[in-house]
Amino acid sequence: MNTEDEYDVIVVGAGHSGCEAAYAASCMGLETCLITIHLETIAQMSCNPAIGGLAKGHLVREIDALGGIMGLLADETGIQFRLLNRSRGGAVQAPRAQSDKALYRQTMKTWLERIPHLTLFQGIVTEILVKGNKVTGVMTLDWNRVFGKTVILSPGTFLNGLIHIGLHSYSAGRANELASRELSDNLKKLGLKTFRLKTGTPMRLHKQTIDWKHFTPQPGDKKPIPFSFRTQKELENKIICYIGYTNSKTHEIIRKNLDKSPLYSGKITGIGIRYCPSIEDKVVKFPHHSRHQFFLEPEGMDTEEIYVNGLSSSLPFEIQKKILKSIPGLDQAKILRPAYGIEYDAVVPTQLYPTLETRKIKNLFLAGQINGTSGYEEAAAQGLMAGINAALKIKKQKPFILCRDEAYIGVLIDDLISKGVEEPYRLFTSRAEYRILLRIDNADKRLIKYGYRYGLIEEKEYEVFLKKQEKINKTMAFLQKEKIKTKSNETISLKDFLKKPEVKLENVLEYKKFKFNLTDEEIRHIESEVKYEGYLKKQEKEIARIRKIDKEKIPKEVDYGKIPGFTQEVREKLEKFRPQTIGEAKKIPGITPAAIVNLHVYLNIQKREKCST
Amino acid sequence: MFEETIIAISTPLGYGGLGIVRLSGKKSLSIAKKIFKPKKQKAKIKPLRPILGNLYDFEQKEFFEEAYLTYFPQPSTYTREDMVEISCHGSPIILEEIIRIGIKAGARHANPGEFTLRAYIRGRIDILQAEAINDIIQASSLKQAKISFKQLEGSLSRKIASLRKNIIHLLSQIEASIEFPEERLRISPKQILKTIENTIQGIKKLIESYILGKTLSKGLTLAITGRTNVGKSTLFNSLLERERAIVTPYPGTTRDYLQERTKIKDSIFSLIDMAGITTPSHPVEKEGIKRGKKLLSDADGVLLLFDTSQNETLEDFKLLKQCKNKKPLLLFNKIDLPLRMNKEKVKDQGKNLPSLEISALKGTNLEKLKAKIHKIFVPNQNQGEEVILHLRQKLLLEEILDCLRGGGRLLKEGYTEEIIAEEIRKIIPLISQLTGEIKADEIINDIFNRFCVGK
Ligand SMILES: Cc1cc2nc3c(=O)[nH]c(=O)nc-3n(C[C@H](O)[C@H](O)[C@H](O)COP(=O)(O)OP(=O)(O)OC[C@H]3O[C@@H](n4cnc5c(N)ncnc54)[C@H](O)[C@@H]3O)c2cc1C
Ligand SMILES: Nc1nc2c(ncn2[C@@H]2O[C@H](COP(=O)(O)OP(=O)(O)O)[C@@H](O)[C@H]2O)c(=O)[nH]1
Ligand SMILES: [Mg+2]
Repeated sequence: MNTEDEYDVIVVGAGHSGCEAAYAASCMGLETCLITIHLETIAQMSCNPAIGGLAKGHLVREIDALGGIMGLLADETGIQFRLLNRSRGGAVQAPRAQSDKALYRQTMKTWLERIPHLTLFQGIVTEILVKGNKVTGVMTLDWNRVFGKTVILSPGTFLNGLIHIGLHSYSAGRANELASRELSDNLKKLGLKTFRLKTGTPMRLHKQTIDWKHFTPQPGDKKPIPFSFRTQKELENKIICYIGYTNSKTHEIIRKNLDKSPLYSGKITGIGIRYCPSIEDKVVKFPHHSRHQFFLEPEGMDTEEIYVNGLSSSLPFEIQKKILKSIPGLDQAKILRPAYGIEYDAVVPTQLYPTLETRKIKNLFLAGQINGTSGYEEAAAQGLMAGINAALKIKKQKPFILCRDEAYIGVLIDDLISKGVEEPYRLFTSRAEYRILLRIDNADKRLIKYGYRYGLIEEKEYEVFLKKQEKINKTMAFLQKEKIKTKSNETISLKDFLKKPEVKLENVLEYKKFKFNLTDEEIRHIESEVKYEGYLKKQEKEIARIRKIDKEKIPKEVDYGKIPGFTQEVREKLEKFRPQTIGEAKKIPGITPAAIVNLHVYLNIQKREKCST
Repeated sequence: MFEETIIAISTPLGYGGLGIVRLSGKKSLSIAKKIFKPKKQKAKIKPLRPILGNLYDFEQKEFFEEAYLTYFPQPSTYTREDMVEISCHGSPIILEEIIRIGIKAGARHANPGEFTLRAYIRGRIDILQAEAINDIIQASSLKQAKISFKQLEGSLSRKIASLRKNIIHLLSQIEASIEFPEERLRISPKQILKTIENTIQGIKKLIESYILGKTLSKGLTLAITGRTNVGKSTLFNSLLERERAIVTPYPGTTRDYLQERTKIKDSIFSLIDMAGITTPSHPVEKEGIKRGKKLLSDADGVLLLFDTSQNETLEDFKLLKQCKNKKPLLLFNKIDLPLRMNKEKVKDQGKNLPSLEISALKGTNLEKLKAKIHKIFVPNQNQGEEVILHLRQKLLLEEILDCLRGGGRLLKEGYTEEIIAEEIRKIIPLISQLTGEIKADEIINDIFNRFCVGK
């Protein structure tokens, strides 16, 4: 790499976030440089060897529809696939897959290396170069300057990372990897507010030291469902995971040794994830539970490492061994890597625009764990959005912002920038107001147009989507038109018949054959569209209503001092940002829904008064 | 509209000896200075110190009344604005006069409830408290005033807060079952149904208390009926403790009906003296009877009178049959006269109906009657139970109830949790109109506090 060159986009940190960002920006034709500490750890999964799950699987589908890579790569390197919540409706079903960690890393690296306009570079970024209030590039530990029009920061848990095992701690971004201390200090110097968070990971065991007969197998789905709409190959389950339980002996050991836990002894000050509690947390918080479930998950095909999902801990190594000893089947298990907890800095995300650009420094974008989130998928989604928006900014095009009613990505980013976070943020389906609308089976219908518009979805892929849509429309029309007599002798359309809770599309086939050759994916989509029809219509109406309010103009001359009921903070913010519409006002961090209602009511009263005088 | 300084009489008109006029807004003090002159010429108006002086008509340049003035600077006032209170003798004429010159001096007459509205808008009180204050002003019975005070202290707010908590619990139960399919939480539809039903019960109780609230503020209607000349008007008058109905020994004197409010114990009742005619001989009477029937069926309670000094008649039984479903209180009147009626036969017809022997004329058992009326017709109010006083709140609660019932029904029909969640989630905006907003984080917090999930 030639350090004299100026890039369009510099991405710092090749984690799940940085990879998507660099991929998107370079695919959009921009000269991109992805700088990371080790090229070997590109797209490393710091914690569990799995992708997806509720809400997270939704995110991956959305990333895929927008043309991102996570879905394709998860399919490519997955070794066990499951669709969760099969017994429930389509809106809350989501794919989850065990990944081959090493393969995931390597494949990502190979893919990125082969992308035109993208340069990979190994280096430790210590400083963001800023002129005025605009970013100009970055500086590395070895005093290389790399210049760029925009910079996307995605350093994950590395900012001032501090690892805890028992009462010992050391500076690191992940086990035995250098922490980014200078970069963290630099961000503070630039005026960005940071705060401290914590998370943890369980131990890895040697497969052959586990007595497997004590555990219940959990196989993958018979017919695996891919993450990506674009995956062609047949997916294959190559491994089995196992379920086991802790017992009262385990809990006793933990209770006795809580004083050696950095968290319970008060040594860790960062705020932890309740969403990923350590085994200590579970034992303390739920003392009446006689056992806790854990999963044994292989880390890949070419390794004997087993990840113990559910036994995350920051107790001393000695105690970790004792914990295993207390569990039949793990009593002889050898620990290859101990469990640990980690504390790190994150940047207060309310300092960002919805594009993930910082308000303070122009052309500096933040994505991933640095914004207070946790999880590969959350990171990847932000990376993709930051990458697209950095590119659009350089191209002087309108920013790309997804609404809460359009995508989980919209919910995620809106939550971050408007509410901020107090503990590591994880996405849940319940965070979405329009859950019935935001499904995995319609992610392409919702979002592929954007991916296509920005050049991340190829012409050919888009055509496949259009054909699928056509087939679905025809099927829907058929279901609507054709009538049948049910067993209870009522004449109803196939569609109404399909609406009954116990009826599946295959049951409809028992009454009427149809010529459409539907894939499982299409069947799930049609079932959802039909079964949820009433809710979807209602939600669409509501969205239209809200959109209309959002577009309402705020008169330029409005005097916020005159509007009653605002707190000092709200008034100051509105005065500072002077939003042009209600929708814009909503996006200002710290503006509460109540304040918006107040503003809206006030403006309408003004309007009416004007009309009447 | 909230920029102007407002003025209003803040004690109910015609009540008691003292009257208070209040000003609220930026110009409160300057307006007060125009219309009020301290006794001691050099005395300064100081915050929170009542000062004696004279009210001054600055147009006529004359003093017209002695009064106290107190200045309350913002923000620690009721409306969070500058406020001034003028207290003087409560003659309506004087109070109106203060308002008149106050308006001349630049104030605007407050709209009904505007002080409270301002308090609400400025975040001083929550909406429930705002409504309670309005009730105190309008309170027509002692009990209601007490309830209003209680509500003001937030007891209704507390009750609703607990309902809110139940809803969060319900949502977190449903959401946990959706979000953590791998964690074997075993939250069955049956369990969810149970939570729904418990919540429904709680809301029903709150709604019931609305009826109580209504009766306490508007008064229960109590219809006195019976055939002609049994003593309805006599009883009506003695319950009113004043002459209102014309009492004559001639049947059919009360042609139409009379209605009057009275206090029985500490509750307000609206008494109706019905025309005692069952077979009309005149079109006017016919009309009156029709109206009477409607009144009777709308009444909250019915007193059915019999004249024990006469033999029971077919008409007596007809009336009894007519209003049986209203669960009337049977009153055997004129017990001061020799008994001619077969009371047992009448009682038999009105199985299980409460009854009492009285003499409306002599006042025998009148106190017992009042106690009985109170016991039978005033809805039971458990000790410490709060009362809902507003239609708006009741309607919201009923809407919430509908959502819960809808969710329960779908669950029974075999629909899956995410659909149930859609029904229950409709409650979130409804409940935020009663109390604080429910945020997604709160539900998620509740999940993690109650269920051991996450790896
Ligand atoms: C111990 C541990 C436990 C975790 N447990 C969980 C869990 O239980 N559940 C969960 O959902 N998530 C968990 N995570 C978080 C998950 O790993 C992250 O959310 C996700 O990887 C974040 O992606 P990212 O792209 O933001 O950062 P990362 O994946 O962390 O990637 C950051 C990248 O930036 C590079 N980098 C850092 N600083 C610099 C620099 N100065 N210059 C150049 N490159 C730099 C690093 O080398 C790394 O490649 C855990 C993480 C750790 C470390
Ligand atoms: N002795 C006696 N006379 C009564 C009593 N109540 C009513 N009366 C008389 O009965 C007559 C009819 O009474 P009134 O109230 O007009 O009956 P109404 O037609 O039912 O309204 C009047 O002369 C009353 O004085 C009572 O309790 N005892
Ligand atoms: Mg009469």
